[in-house]
Parts: sequence; C-alpha cells; structure tokens
Amino acid sequence: MRILMVCTEKLPVPPLLGGAIQTYISGILPHVSQFHDITVLGISDSSLPEQETIHGVHYVRVPGKIFEIYRENVVRYVEANKFDLIHIFNRPRLVLPIRQAAPDAKMTLSMHNDMFQPEKIDPEEATAAIAEVAYIVTVSDYIGNVIRCLYPQASPKLRTIYSGVDSERFLPGNHPKMQKIRNDIRRAHGLENKTVILFAGRLSRNKGVDKLILALPELAKKFKNLALVIVGSNWFSENDITDYVAYVRALAKRMPVPVVTTGFVPPNEIQNWFAAADLFVCTSQWQEPLARVHYEAMAAGLPIVTTARGGNPEVIFANENGLIVENPEDPSDFANKIAQILSDQSLMRRMGEKGRQLAISIYHWERVASELLEVWEQAEKTEQAVVSEEQAAGMTIEPLKEDATEQLNRPTPKADAKEKVHSKKNAAASSDKTKKGKTKKERAISMEDHQQTAKQKEAAAERTELAKSAPAPKQPQTGRHIKPFTIASGNQQTLDASPKTHLNRKLAQAKHDTKHFTIASSH
Amino acid sequence: MKDIVIEPWLVDETTHEFFIPEYIIQLAEEVLKNYDLSVQNMQIVTTKPDKGGAIWKLETKSGPKSLKLLHRRPTRSLFSLGAQEYLVEVRKARVPPIVKTKDEKSYVEAGGKLWFVAEWIEPLTPVTKDLEGARKLCYALGEFHRLSKGYVPPKQAEMASRLHKWPKNYEKMITKMSWFRNIAKYYPEMPASPPLLEVVDRFEEQARKGRERFLQSSYVEFVKQGTAHWGLVHQDYGWSNGQMGADGMWIIDLDGVAFDLPIRDLRKLISGTMADLYKWDATWVREMILAYHEANPITPELYELLMIDLAMPNEFYKNMKEVVYEPEIFLNEQTAQLIQTIVETDQSKWPVLAEIENDWKGVG
Repeated sequence: MRILMVCTEKLPVPPLLGGAIQTYISGILPHVSQFHDITVLGISDSSLPEQETIHGVHYVRVPGKIFEIYRENVVRYVEANKFDLIHIFNRPRLVLPIRQAAPDAKMTLSMHNDMFQPEKIDPEEATAAIAEVAYIVTVSDYIGNVIRCLYPQASPKLRTIYSGVDSERFLPGNHPKMQKIRNDIRRAHGLENKTVILFAGRLSRNKGVDKLILALPELAKKFKNLALVIVGSNWFSENDITDYVAYVRALAKRMPVPVVTTGFVPPNEIQNWFAAADLFVCTSQWQEPLARVHYEAMAAGLPIVTTARGGNPEVIFANENGLIVENPEDPSDFANKIAQILSDQSLMRRMGEKGRQLAISIYHWERVASELLEVWEQAEKTEQAVVSEEQAAGMTIEPLKEDATEQLNRPTPKADAKEKVHSKKNAAASSDKTKKGKTKKERAISMEDHQQTAKQKEAAAERTELAKSAPAPKQPQTGRHIKPFTIASGNQQTLDASPKTHLNRKLAQAKHDTKHFTIASSH
Repeated sequence: MKDIVIEPWLVDETTHEFFIPEYIIQLAEEVLKNYDLSVQNMQIVTTKPDKGGAIWKLETKSGPKSLKLLHRRPTRSLFSLGAQEYLVEVRKARVPPIVKTKDEKSYVEAGGKLWFVAEWIEPLTPVTKDLEGARKLCYALGEFHRLSKGYVPPKQAEMASRLHKWPKNYEKMITKMSWFRNIAKYYPEMPASPPLLEVVDRFEEQARKGRERFLQSSYVEFVKQGTAHWGLVHQDYGWSNGQMGADGMWIIDLDGVAFDLPIRDLRKLISGTMADLYKWDATWVREMILAYHEANPITPELYELLMIDLAMPNEFYKNMKEVVYEPEIFLNEQTAQLIQTIVETDQSKWPVLAEIENDWKGVG
C-alpha cells in the first residue's frame, strides 16, 4: 500500500530533539517500510531537508509548531498526493481535515495521549473522527479505556500496541560495550561508589521528580552513599527555568544526598545515563499514558519503581521487574518502595535481569511494527466498516448495527493465529517464545490472504439483496461533520468535494452492507 | 536583515532605562517603511527585555501613533490583533484603531515577531484612585467583555483560550502551597521562613475549600457554552490599561487577550484593588460588581463563581510565587513583613465576602 504517516506538529522526525512519538515512528520505520511504500509527513527543522528518501522511506517536512499552520500544510499535501492509507499520530483533530482532502483513503489513528478529552477536541468532532478511522491504536490500555469511556462506539476500533525500545542501544551498565561509559560518567560526576537512582523525563509538575527528591532524607537515613541523577530539561531541548525547575533546584540544594542534574541530554546519548545508574524511578503524578522510559530502563537492566498512574503499571510485573507506588503524592511511599529494592541485592539483580529479558523478548520494535502492519492490513480489509461505525454512532438502537459492531470486535482467525501483546497477561505468556518479526515471505502470504478476502467480498456482493432487507440505515452525516473544517485555501476544491464525498458515501454504504454479511457468513 | 530573530536582551546597570539593542531599532525603522507615515519623532516608552517586546511613541504628520513590537509568537499575536480589529471595526469599541500598512495590512512581520502601528489616543488620563474611579474602570471592563463577544479569530491565528483551564489553575495553586511549605522547611534559617510556615496551612486550606466549592459550581455548564458565548478577557486590566479619554473610557494594551469567563478580569481587579487599600471594603466590592453588571450582566451562577474565585488566596499566592527562584534572597525580612500585611488584609476579606454572599440571590 501507499501509506502516509502523519506526525504531530511539535517535533521533527527523526527524533533529533527526542519525543516519544517521534522515537516510536523512527523505531518502526525500518520494519514497516519493507512491506509498504511509506511517506512520513512531519514538521520542518532547520537541520533537515524539506524532502528526502532514506532507506526507501520518503520524508516530507512542512512548517508546523502551531497546530493550525501544520493542519493547513498537511491538508495541502494530502490534496496533492494520493495514498491508500493514512495513519495519523496523536492528532484526532487532523482526521476530518485529512478525510476531506482524501475521501477514499483508509485511515488509522495512533493515540499516545489523552487527546480525546473534551478540552482537547470538541465532542462532535471527536465522534466524527472516530467514525472516519478504521482503527485506533493506543500505547496503553489506559489510553484505550479513556477513549472507550468517552466514546463507547470507538470500542471495536481500539487496539493497544505497547511501544518498544532498541535493546542494542540501551544496555545494562555491566555490558562490555557500556562498562567504560558507565565508569567514565560516574567518575566525571562524583558518583563512584554510589548507588545511583535515576530519573529521566521532563521536569514538570506532572512528572513529579520533586517527590523523589523529598524522599531522599528518609532514604539517606537507611542507606549510605546514595545519589540521585535527574536527566532532562523542562521541555525537550529548552533549558528555561520554569517555576517548577526552580523549585526542584531549590530543594535539591538542601538534600543530604548528592543530586546531579544533567539538563537536556541529546536523545542519542541518553542510554549512557541509564547504563550509569542502579535503579530507575518514574515519579509521574498525572495519569500518564505510559512513559517510554520504562522500556528504556528495562533494556538497561534497571529495577523500576513507578507510580499507579495511567498506563505505567501495565508494564510492571510486581516483584518481578519493579514495584508500584500507590500514592505518588507521598514522598515516603517512594522511600519505602526504593528501600525495599535497595535492601535486597539479589531482588535488585533479579528485577534488572527480568526487565532486560522483557525488553528483548517483547518490547522490541519489530513486534511493534508487526502489530501495526496487522492493523493496517485489517484496515484495508474492513475499509467500509468506517461508515458502519459512523452510522452506529447515529443510531444506537438498530440491532443490526449493534451486531455488526460486535462482529467487528471479534478477532479474525488470522489475527488469532498471531502472537500479540494486547495485555500484560498476554505479554507474559508470550514472552518466552515471541519470535522475531515476520519475514518478507510470510508477509507475502498475508498478501495472499488479502486477495482471498477480496474474492470473498465479490462473492458476498452477490448477496447484497439480502442486506437490503435489513433496517434502512440513517443517512450518514458526513456532510455536516466535514463542513466546519473547510480549509479556506481549498475553497474551490471544497465546493466540489462535498457532493462527491456524499456519493462516495452512498457507494460505501452499499459495500458496507455487503461487508457485514461477509463477516457473518464466515462465522 | 531577513534572517534576524529578535531575542530577549539583558539590561543591567550599564544600560539606560529603556535600552533596546541596536538591531531592533534598525528593524523598527525598516518596519516603518511599510507605512505611509511621515515620522517626525520616535520615542521608546516601554520595553519588555525579558520577553523581547517594546513600544514606541511616534509623532507623525497625521498625529501621534504607537509602534509595537509584540513579544509573543506571531500566531498568538495574530489572535490579539484580530481581536483589536474586530473590537474597533465591528463593535466600535473604544480601543485604539490599528493603522494599516501601505498595502492595507494590519501588521508587519520582522525579526520573527509581529509589529503594528495603532492610533495613540490623546488625551488619556487615569481615573481617580477612588470609588468613582473604580466604578468607571469596572463599567468599561464590562463593556469591553460584552463587545468582545462574537469574535472569530483569523484562520492563521493560534487559539488563545483559558476557558478550560480553571480546574488546573486551582490545582496548581494548591500544589504550590506545598512548594512554599517545603521551601520554608528546607531554608529554616531565613527570616521569612518561620512566618511563612506559620500561615501556609491556612492559605492551603482556603484553596482546598475554594476548589471544593468550585467543583460544585456551574463552571462545567459555563464551559459547555463555548468560547464565542463568553468573549475575551483582557488579562492585564487595571488602573493603567483602562483610562479616560475625551468621549469615555478607553481600553489599551490588548496583546494578551484570550477567551475566558469574563469575571476573571473582574476578580483580579477587585482583589488587586483591595490589596492596594490594605483592607477589604464591602461598599467598594459591591459597587465595583454593580458597575460591571450594568455593562455586562452577571447571572447568579456567574456571581457564585466570582465569589468562589474571590475567596481563593490569590494575593498570598501571587506574592509568594517567586520564592522558588532564589529562596536565599527572597525569604528576607521584607518578605516576612509582606506576609504579615497579606495576613492582615486577608482577615478583613472574610466578613466582606460573607456580607455580599447573597446579594445575587433571586436576581435574574
């Protein structure tokens, strides 16, 4: 397929300035680009060309930073280029403008944050956006559940795909490649003979490193030679002093334990700090989607102390690779959990090893990529279900629609055959035998499956008459949804596009009725 | 000149009061070439060195004008410029009209910032610092809020709204109370630390109670009505940005306008004015609210939210915020004294709020 991956307006890809989404995209590109013709559309950066092709992946970069500007540039690009599938990262507000510019493309969405909250997107727009996409991939069950609570109709489209980490880059401190680096860093910062607790992340109230600092006096009473390392700036590469950063500094100054703050560390050096540490602590106070530092800490073989907030606990197997702080607002809860690990050397070692093992066996980019490839393939097949969802949203009491929704929810046999990491439990079960990503040959077989599906579709089309006997669906409300998001620069286009889209919808409607029967007949 | 990016600049004892780097002055002259103005004199009147902003007064053949270098992101500035234009042209509000460039644009982009020229309104005199002045200020504020309704920002502008941010602001205030406490605790030798520790619990409790009441208020319903329903807040309204002109009160310096519940401006004006008086005064508060209400009616539900917001420890919070930066300097004798003053003023607040609590019962 010709696939367009649309990044956010905030940071460039590749992740020169870091960023979880940008890292995710870069992590999966080498794998997904083997099977599809990929274009990555993101924001421009002075150090990157506006267009380039690297290892077969096309990069297109347009001015961004501000959502409105980026949106207009994205729409302009999508209008001028044709794609089979458009995958949007973390911006549900791009769905409708893109849909308008690409009425025929299949659409999927990745959610890394709570961007469906009412203050981030108008509920009417959110409903319409959900109707337009075939699947919504989330980085944690937590994110999926929040969307499900707000918009139950999104439920059958939601799928958790946990992120990944490069375990060749993030290595334990005792790995031959890392020993020197570890020792050099520790020497340079006066950390020799210290037990180093590491925090890595943005310095913000949400991330809550102040609670860890306030746990230090209690820990210092129990353990000698502790040190805390804080890696990160308040917001990516900017080292501005916010009130929070100032607060953290003011506290750190008065602690009985040395606190080393690094400021911004370029993303390609961050693994060195993980290798130099002994224990990793994530202090998130907010409902964090699922911080990617957990994967990095696991790969670096560090025991983890994290908080019972958002998706963070989803990657912690209690007493196996880390511990969970139930009351993250209370510094002594951190002190207790950290003390529990630090006072048991063998537990500490086992947790680190378990983390490393999990990173290697589950949280690798090939697994992430292969799950996303499945989503794309299914999106391709269930193309017209998009419309059914839209209708389902508008007519909740129609029994046919409810059935259809359930059927969509049911995994296809193909999906069942594969090992997926949908949940903690599954992840654990598959950890020992997770295979490397699929070979091209295996992918080719998947493609044949598609052809098979196409044949089934054709066969089912003959049964369309049956579909007509089903209750008449309400008129899809796409016109109304699309209208408010008209991009003025495309006025000419917009005037034509509206009725055309409408026609497409009607066509789609016929196909979609067919589709339901296809699924039904296969069970 | 094209690649120049305006950055904040340093001011110290070696620079004069309104120092501006030479390259910015040159840019200003370049900017003025876009206007059909014959500038006879140009004088700097305000600078924002830490943000990279400035205002000049221009004497031209067509009368006095102001030239502003807006320090915000261009897209954010577009929001404010659009608002100013809307208020002048559509709503005929008394805010300074924007002077168009030779090619009919409202601004010039240079050095990565927006610049614009507006009429310099003369005469403008501050209102008297008495109850009558306060009433005038409040009426003008209400009028401003009412006229700002219906504003639709230009397509390219960044949306500036604080409408949804109230809960977070309240949370933040509570969180920061614990910051103040922790700083005082870890800097015990400083003169202001003991008094700060002594009073912080009380203000934290006020903030928590306020938040509880807020969660029970009509806020959620207000938000549902959307930004266009409420209109804009000025965000920096006070005794200098509302002034008397020849034909009534003018409102100036609109750079920070954003969508929000209008009573936030009113709350700030009231609590700030009471702080200036060192004492809360029921007559003043009542009269100020009434004057506002005449221009932009307040419903009982909105009045309740105003009461909740007034009850928050706003002045304590505002004055202690700086403590995190340099506790060794900030927590001095002077701050100890300031805490004392704030506590005393706060004591006079509660009887006043209790007295006016039910003023709006049955209104509307």
